[in-house]
Amino acid sequence: MSELLRIENISKRFGSFYANKNINLTVEEGEIHTLLGENGAGKSTLMNILVGLYQPTDGKIFLKGEEVHLHSPNDAVSKGIGMVHQHFMLVDAMTVFENIILGDTNAKEIVIDREKRRAQIQELAQRYGFRIDLDKYITEISVGEQQRVEILKALYRGAQLLILDEPTAALTDIEVEGLYDVMHKLVEEGKSIIFISHKMREVMHVSDRITILRAGEAVATVKKDEVSAQELAAMMIGRDLAASSFEKVISGGSAVAELDHVSYNRNSKHYGLNDISMKIRSGEIVGIAGVDGNGQTQLAQVLTGVIAPEEGTISLGDSKILVYDPNNFILRRTAHVPEDRNLQGLVGDMSIADNLVLRRVETDKFSSLGGAFLKKGAILSYAKEMVEKYDIRSRSASQTVRSLSGGNQQKVILAREMEAEPDLLVVAHPTRGLDIGATRFIRQQMIDARDRGVGILLISADFDEVLELSDRILVLFEGQIMGEFPGENPPVDEISLAMTGR
Amino acid sequence: MDNSRKNLVNIFVPVLSILLSILIGMIIMAFLKANPVTAVKYLVIGAFGTKQNLGTTLTRATPLIFTALCACFAYRCGVFNLGGEGQFIMGSIAACFVSLKFGLTGIPAVIVALVCGTVAGGLWGAIPGVLKITRGQNEMIISIMFNYIATLLMGVVYTNWLREGSVPQTAQVPKESQLARIVPGIRVTWGFVIAIVIGLLIYYFLFWTSLGFKFRAVGLNQTASRFNGYPVRRYMLSAFIISGAVAGLGGAGELMGTQFRLINGFASGYGFDGVAMALIGQLNPIATMFVALFFAALRTGSTTMQAATGVPTSVSDIIQALVIVFTVAGMALTQLPEFSTFIGRFFGRKEAQAV
Amino acid sequence: MSFVSNLLLASVRMAVPLLLIALGELYSERAGMVNIGLEGLAAIGSLVGFLTCFISGSTWVGILCGALVGIAVNMIYAFATVTLCANHTVYGMAINILAPALASFIYRIFFGSGSDLSQITLMKTINIPILKDIPIIGPLLFSQTPMVYLAFLLVILTGFFFTKTQAGLNYRAVGENPKAAATLGINVIRTKYLACVICGALSGIGGAYLTTCYSNTYTEGNISGRGFIALAAVIFGRWSGGGILAACLFFGFCDALQIRLQVASVGIPYQFFQMIPYVATVIALTVIGSGKSGPKAAGKPYRKEER
Repeated sequence: MSELLRIENISKRFGSFYANKNINLTVEEGEIHTLLGENGAGKSTLMNILVGLYQPTDGKIFLKGEEVHLHSPNDAVSKGIGMVHQHFMLVDAMTVFENIILGDTNAKEIVIDREKRRAQIQELAQRYGFRIDLDKYITEISVGEQQRVEILKALYRGAQLLILDEPTAALTDIEVEGLYDVMHKLVEEGKSIIFISHKMREVMHVSDRITILRAGEAVATVKKDEVSAQELAAMMIGRDLAASSFEKVISGGSAVAELDHVSYNRNSKHYGLNDISMKIRSGEIVGIAGVDGNGQTQLAQVLTGVIAPEEGTISLGDSKILVYDPNNFILRRTAHVPEDRNLQGLVGDMSIADNLVLRRVETDKFSSLGGAFLKKGAILSYAKEMVEKYDIRSRSASQTVRSLSGGNQQKVILAREMEAEPDLLVVAHPTRGLDIGATRFIRQQMIDARDRGVGILLISADFDEVLELSDRILVLFEGQIMGEFPGENPPVDEISLAMTGR
Repeated sequence: MDNSRKNLVNIFVPVLSILLSILIGMIIMAFLKANPVTAVKYLVIGAFGTKQNLGTTLTRATPLIFTALCACFAYRCGVFNLGGEGQFIMGSIAACFVSLKFGLTGIPAVIVALVCGTVAGGLWGAIPGVLKITRGQNEMIISIMFNYIATLLMGVVYTNWLREGSVPQTAQVPKESQLARIVPGIRVTWGFVIAIVIGLLIYYFLFWTSLGFKFRAVGLNQTASRFNGYPVRRYMLSAFIISGAVAGLGGAGELMGTQFRLINGFASGYGFDGVAMALIGQLNPIATMFVALFFAALRTGSTTMQAATGVPTSVSDIIQALVIVFTVAGMALTQLPEFSTFIGRFFGRKEAQAV
Repeated sequence: MSFVSNLLLASVRMAVPLLLIALGELYSERAGMVNIGLEGLAAIGSLVGFLTCFISGSTWVGILCGALVGIAVNMIYAFATVTLCANHTVYGMAINILAPALASFIYRIFFGSGSDLSQITLMKTINIPILKDIPIIGPLLFSQTPMVYLAFLLVILTGFFFTKTQAGLNYRAVGENPKAAATLGINVIRTKYLACVICGALSGIGGAYLTTCYSNTYTEGNISGRGFIALAAVIFGRWSGGGILAACLFFGFCDALQIRLQVASVGIPYQFFQMIPYVATVIALTVIGSGKSGPKAAGKPYRKEER
């Protein structure tokens, strides 16, 4: 095997922050080389440098022994580097065919020669065993198919080195198997793959070699056969982690929320709910397992009044909900940690203090004369208290939340929601994109809340998180509940199977 | 960014923009073969030199303050109301009817006219508001269309309904119904005081009351506001109505205090000028009032400048336009990541200590 | 009969400036730039078109200079919104304030503040032989100024460009998903600047049309909201060349109708008829609602290295 790519001392700085620092890495021809690292370890930055989207602050890149300068994506594409981004780079309003030929610089003709290019694409698809309808719009095909379009796009441009950024995150188990097949076929043909992941299981399954990134630096490169998953995890995190496990409970409490045959946008596989009935009791965490985009968003939103079910009813405590409006749910002691914290949870340009009192600004504690005069001193001292209590790392309580890190933003939301002393807490993807420290803190807060008697609905695309926290696990697939499983010693295989719809 | 540094930037950028615009204005004057320094001197004298001139400046500032506050309030609450001019005109039409047709005179006439003007402006603002929240319409286009409709309606009023004599204009507001002057002999009326009071009230409402807090939150992030239980659509409609009412009150005040009759060109351009002033003032009501004063001074002073040096008054329009062009671009510049990197080099050491 | 055919003829003529400006906006929005400064661009284009035509005696010089000044002014918008990432709406408003101020300043410098209007000779109509003799459609479509033909040709070219060509496909991707476009090697920044050039040129020509092909003189405020109506026409026309043509013909018809009704009726104040185009715009926008929205990334700033 000969060397395809060599990276020497690459650094990338944003302001005073180093996202990558002196990284060295080689990729052989016909190799699957994994980049392993936590969120924020610098994997995506490094890849964006490789595809010409970012310019490195320092360092050199060699392809087949020759130094290359990747000033733009065009340079990368012409040198045979293709990437499938974690968030697909597809244009929804265009067809599969249009997406594949988009930006094609080889084509000399002005008017698109559809016949010719279709034939080229069909041939390529056949070679790798893809079955894709070229005339469908991106919005009409599944996530797995979208990924194949992305791969096809890179191959169509003659990619020799394919970078796959967390490619399994949005796939079902079966789709993941299909992806592995494709990857093996690609390396058999002599192409190389950089595989980015933080899931130990799949890393051990597909890699030839593994490079571990931590805090922007390459810690080590190892061969898969010479290392154990335990060792990899230790290198990735930088210290030994005691396997944290929370005690599971079986709640005998009363139901804080009950869904009775609830449907919303029933015909949509990805954005609807189909005849959902479930209960959340006080003092338990109900976890929703399932691949993202099977109705989770809608479940969280009907339970917090953001959208109204088209059929069925929801009861909170003893009373049936008649008016679906977030405020009505808030008054009935429902709290919500929404899936998109910047868009739905926070007012980015307001301060930490303002965001903490967002719902309670007219209460006597924070304003007098029925809201006619804000007690700014009281708001600020309350905020300082919360910053302390929830470990929100900031320069001051009057700093805008936009300038906080993701973990600290999430803590601001959590502080606001927890301090409202809810009966029901709906939490969506609470630790997505957070570092280990913040993740642990937030999980502990949820367990503490459960122990105080709060009923919690946990929605997470992170299967391990659902397993770790849930007292009961429900599986959601295409808007339907596929089964209920205990949180204590959960039958992982059965749950995985249910997540694929069986 | 720290709050203190943000505030500094908020003041620094507009001030620098104003200075830069004046400089360019002076270069234009030089090209027109006038001595720029002399011209600017006459500009300042014309605006502030005598009690009368100062009075004229404050008088001209009054309607601008109203339309600027109208824009300022609306944008703070997240609705892009570009209909300030139409709402201003509707206010003046209502006031015109009251003072000429209702048979009231004196203080009662003034009060009823101002109230009716406020209501008329609010209603005119409500139309694009309702269309936005019920039909999801682009409020900018709709509110601008209603500017043209209001202007034409005013045309009907002064050419037909309330026309007096052969000239297309309405009759004058009777002397005893006109807004009184603060100091006899100087043109400024109580309308100016009302404008300042409204500005202070809006400032207090936005920054010191819980409802104002919520309006601002809606303006910054509608989705998060909805998720947090705010009646977002009601607030947005309210913002339209209140901002329209402010403009309407301004229109009524302008009619009762300064112009006394509707005529072709009444309020022309006040709407967009208001938008510009609010944006230069960084949507801060108090800063916005100062910007309005500056704009008014430019206009008043430029007349004197033209008489003394021959530099046409429209140079002041150019200066105004440049201020908005520079301010908005300048604010955008300070928000670029490259800018903080650049600034970071100067403040680097301090920053390191703070963290 | 002649009332109807005259009305239709006038509709086409009134639709053309709207069409030109709206097509400019289409090119802008397809590259992700919502430009509400059209009114200002048309205003300066109108004045400069008139002025250069007045000096040179050629309407074509007027049209060309209108385009050039539109481009020049729109480059300010491009720099601020593309390079500095300023808010599109806010900056569009800045252009709406700057450009008319410039126009009136230039007018004063050249013509003083006198009220006597300078006039120019309008662009001549060109009859297309044989075709012009077709009843009704003949005079409507084949006995117009070259600008009318150019505008219609542009509609066809625009449709062809966006649906059939590789360049058009790439261009659209910039407005839909600039990040994706960038990963495919499409130069997003250059496309956006190009969009601003096209938008500035067409808006400037739209304004110049009013002084060189429609009325033979310049008056302040002669654009009278056409920039904003064009904006509405893009929405009403669903971001497609053909749709925009239909929308502009409709608004042009409203404009032509109001002029005829003004002349025809007695007793009703003429201003009520003048309101028709504006009311029609409001109604049109209200009726279609906000169902389908335009290019996905329209109005959003694009930052190259965003974290």
